[in-house]
Amino acid sequence: MSSASDFLREYLTVLILGGVGAALVGLLLGASHLLRPARRQPGKSLTYESGVDPVGTGWTQSQIRYYVFALLFVMFDVEAVFIFPWATRLEAYGGFGLVEMGIFVFILLLGLVYAWRKGVLKWV
Amino acid sequence: MFATLLQATGAGDKLVTPEVPWSHLAPQLILVVGATVGVIAAAALRGRLRRSVGAVGAAVVAGAAIVSIIPLWHRVSNPAQGPISAVNGAIGVDRFSLFVTALLCAAVILASFTAEAYLQREGLDGPEFSLLLLLAAAGGSVMAGANDLIVMFIGIEVLSLAVYVLAAMHARRISSQESGLKYFLLGGFASAFLLYGIALTYGATGTTSLLRVQSFLAERVLTDDGLLLGGLALMLVGFAFKVGAVPFHMWTPDVYQGAPSPVTGFMAAAVKTAAFAGMLRVFVVGFASYADLWRPVVGALAIASLVVGAVMSVVQTNVKRMLAYSSIAHAGFVLLGVDAASAEGTAASLFYLAAYTAMALGTFAVVTVVGGSGDGAHTLDAYRGLGRRRPGLALAMSLFLLAQAGTPVTIGFLAKLGVIRAAIDADQWALAIVAMLTAVISTFMYLRIVVAMYFAESESESDDRGELRIPWGVGVTIGVAVIATLVLGVVPGPLEHLSDDALPVLVAVDGR
Amino acid sequence: MFAIDPLLESVDGSAVLIVLLKVVVAFAALMIAVMAMVWFERKVVARMQNRLGPNVAGPFGILQTLADGVKLFFKEDLLPREADRPVFRLAPYLSLVPAFLVFVVVPLGGDFSNDRHGVVSWFGKETLVQVADPHIGILFVLAMSSMAVYGVMLAGWSSGSKYPLLGSVRAAAQMISYEAALGLSLLAVLLNSGSLSTNEIVSGQSGWNWNLWATGVVPFIVFFIAATAELNRPPFDLVEAEQELVGGFHTEYSSLRFALFFLAEFMNTITMSAVIVTLFLGGPNGPSFGPGWLQAILPTVWFLAKLLVFLFVFVWLRGTLPRLRYDQLMDLGWKLLIPLALGWFLLLAAFKIGQDEGWNRAVVGVVGTVVILLGALLISMAVGTARARRAAVEVEA
Repeated sequence: MSSASDFLREYLTVLILGGVGAALVGLLLGASHLLRPARRQPGKSLTYESGVDPVGTGWTQSQIRYYVFALLFVMFDVEAVFIFPWATRLEAYGGFGLVEMGIFVFILLLGLVYAWRKGVLKWV
Repeated sequence: MFATLLQATGAGDKLVTPEVPWSHLAPQLILVVGATVGVIAAAALRGRLRRSVGAVGAAVVAGAAIVSIIPLWHRVSNPAQGPISAVNGAIGVDRFSLFVTALLCAAVILASFTAEAYLQREGLDGPEFSLLLLLAAAGGSVMAGANDLIVMFIGIEVLSLAVYVLAAMHARRISSQESGLKYFLLGGFASAFLLYGIALTYGATGTTSLLRVQSFLAERVLTDDGLLLGGLALMLVGFAFKVGAVPFHMWTPDVYQGAPSPVTGFMAAAVKTAAFAGMLRVFVVGFASYADLWRPVVGALAIASLVVGAVMSVVQTNVKRMLAYSSIAHAGFVLLGVDAASAEGTAASLFYLAAYTAMALGTFAVVTVVGGSGDGAHTLDAYRGLGRRRPGLALAMSLFLLAQAGTPVTIGFLAKLGVIRAAIDADQWALAIVAMLTAVISTFMYLRIVVAMYFAESESESDDRGELRIPWGVGVTIGVAVIATLVLGVVPGPLEHLSDDALPVLVAVDGR
Repeated sequence: MFAIDPLLESVDGSAVLIVLLKVVVAFAALMIAVMAMVWFERKVVARMQNRLGPNVAGPFGILQTLADGVKLFFKEDLLPREADRPVFRLAPYLSLVPAFLVFVVVPLGGDFSNDRHGVVSWFGKETLVQVADPHIGILFVLAMSSMAVYGVMLAGWSSGSKYPLLGSVRAAAQMISYEAALGLSLLAVLLNSGSLSTNEIVSGQSGWNWNLWATGVVPFIVFFIAATAELNRPPFDLVEAEQELVGGFHTEYSSLRFALFFLAEFMNTITMSAVIVTLFLGGPNGPSFGPGWLQAILPTVWFLAKLLVFLFVFVWLRGTLPRLRYDQLMDLGWKLLIPLALGWFLLLAAFKIGQDEGWNRAVVGVVGTVVILLGALLISMAVGTARARRAAVEVEA
């Protein structure tokens, strides 16, 4: 028994559970579809807008700030991904690793401070 | 079942960490630290700095980097010590990388002075402009020194990302935004090509270290080298895009036209220099044993660039587009030197890049002034009658254009002579003849601008563009570029010595 | 390595049986727990608000959730005309399945003392009381909680309606903001355990060596706040702020599809509490005593007890705290939690390495604290000047 298949087997179990979960959801939806009433009326399929007829389409522009936060998130998530392996093998890299990671984190923090100062983090 | 997991995660043995000889990386470190400190200072003191502080600061940092190169150059030139390999063989410090770094720093100084005037005129914010120039130079410097393909990629990304932002820096101008976006999207494509090429090369040779690639290929003959050829081709595409060689030049006219004029100058000078430095190191040194295979392709790129650049530049009416196509033609000339795949070829390429740096930055400094408020007056009409309105400016522009055309007594002539000689030495007669013919065609285009400046009546003599201010920053850039173009054209000795010495080498890591 | 054969060879009946048993039991347990959780929340909140709460269906109203579920099951399902139908139908799956999957990596029991790593013997096979133990269990948790953003985002977007769209964009921004804080506060745990596997992390906490104090409480607080925000629970429930957004991303959902989102939300609360217990409170670790059968189930009992504490705290927060404003939410995440998590993590790392290399502890502590204080000072200076200038501008205007 190779360790590779051990490794993969763990994910196979995860996959099975995911499959069971999806199947259950599908089953419930299917059963409900058969049992529940379906009386279609035009009014029912209107989108909800506080009780009045909807104005315009539902797809409106949203604020650009959301996008900026998404970019910042990518930055910090990638940072975390780089730190994860180092954190698990901290001792192996010793002081050298600490200095290197300190520089890395420091530069990213500078980026956060820069964004902060530029008013990116301010929600108006 | 769990024993393997524990084994994989539990071991606490020390890893061998590479030595980082900080002093040998001084130029790069000065550039990067200067840029990051500058960015933070700019953010912290927002609005309380004079605009010129950014340009002067960037010039001081780049100057410090040049100063730090001098002792390194002496150290590396000393036969007893020789080139240095730093950070476990990732970065090499040899005269090639130092030469290119110095060239990039010089480009930063000149471009930031032009940019200072530009920012002032356009009312643009802050020192980020100059600081991004520093970051771009740092990336280019890493490319020039990279002894490992991954490090090369990091360098090219740092360089490119900074330049993407720079191209879109004039955010109020729609064409600048378009330029930035276009460059970003297509540049991302090119980076992907390069990275994929690196991946295939790794697959074929089992290493990304150029030194080990070199020795791997020198020691054995691959029976099935499809993977390696694919990798070579993709990397060539990536580099050809960055230098703007035909047929990967499509972005050049649009991006050059839309980007702020000082940035266009920097792109023409520094980005090209850095990309060619990477190309020379990877192909001429790393894949020397495959030269027979890549040389015809590079030669074809050179011919295509020369012909398309020269012919297309003639039919343009926008001066920035003309200069964009002329930069494609110049890339073709440098490719002649790469194609030679020899020491003379490399030296001639470096000399050409140095010459083009001076000429391009000077030219685009003039373009910055003539562009006027809003950076929009770049048609040939805007240059009509410049000889009467601003005789000095017109004279400088004529000098730069004639130098680019390859007129004797200027540095441009010697540069063209060098690469053509290298091509002839490498028995590439066809290339040399095409280069000489296209040089003649290009001359026609350069002369069109000169004629417009001196012999055409300005249709709009009376409008307010009659008085063009020449701010001190642009004055400095033009002055330095004129001196470099003329003096080095007459006395090329010192620069030739430097570029002859600056050959890329790969150094083994001591003891491993 | 990726061939299917070695994966399935040497798989005997008992191994398959164990996997299936685990899957079925985990599944049933989770569903029952969710039912109980809904009842628990309603009951506790009602008591806090001096009401009775559900008390009709079954003893103490415990079957109330079931009754609600049955009702929703038989309700007509409406699809808005403007909706992007395939995506609209897909979104509930994307919301619910990741919620199931996080549960996979949580160790639910087993003896972790004396280096036994929670291994138990079932049907003559050594196994763990957790559905699966991938190498990268913690990354898997993060990945799945990111997947949940897709469910919310796509549900809101595909509805073709204004309120859901606004709600989902808000939700996505909030969840990714706190996702970053979540990941960064986790790093402190990894420093202590040196592994990404949840089993290893729990093993490292045996003998009262809980990460809660081993990492110095701060990462736990950051993680807990970030987890609350990640779950969109009060006081971070801006996503479905009824007063502003009607119902948020699920406004257009009805019938069983709505119930599925509801289910996913409570399931996420339970699994996130379980993850917190695993990471910081030693999972099933606890004192062991009594006869053999008691010793076998005690770890699970401890685990459930700790879980219940967190579930109660989540409900308590809901009963106590008012909702944050959106700008306060973003400020808290980006300006406090992320720098705090990063700074604390670096300090811990310096301490660990100092211990390893034999540096003086006091010196490391002093230097680290000085560096962090300096950083905090710099940040506050930068922000302080900004605030002062803004105040000055306001005075001028």
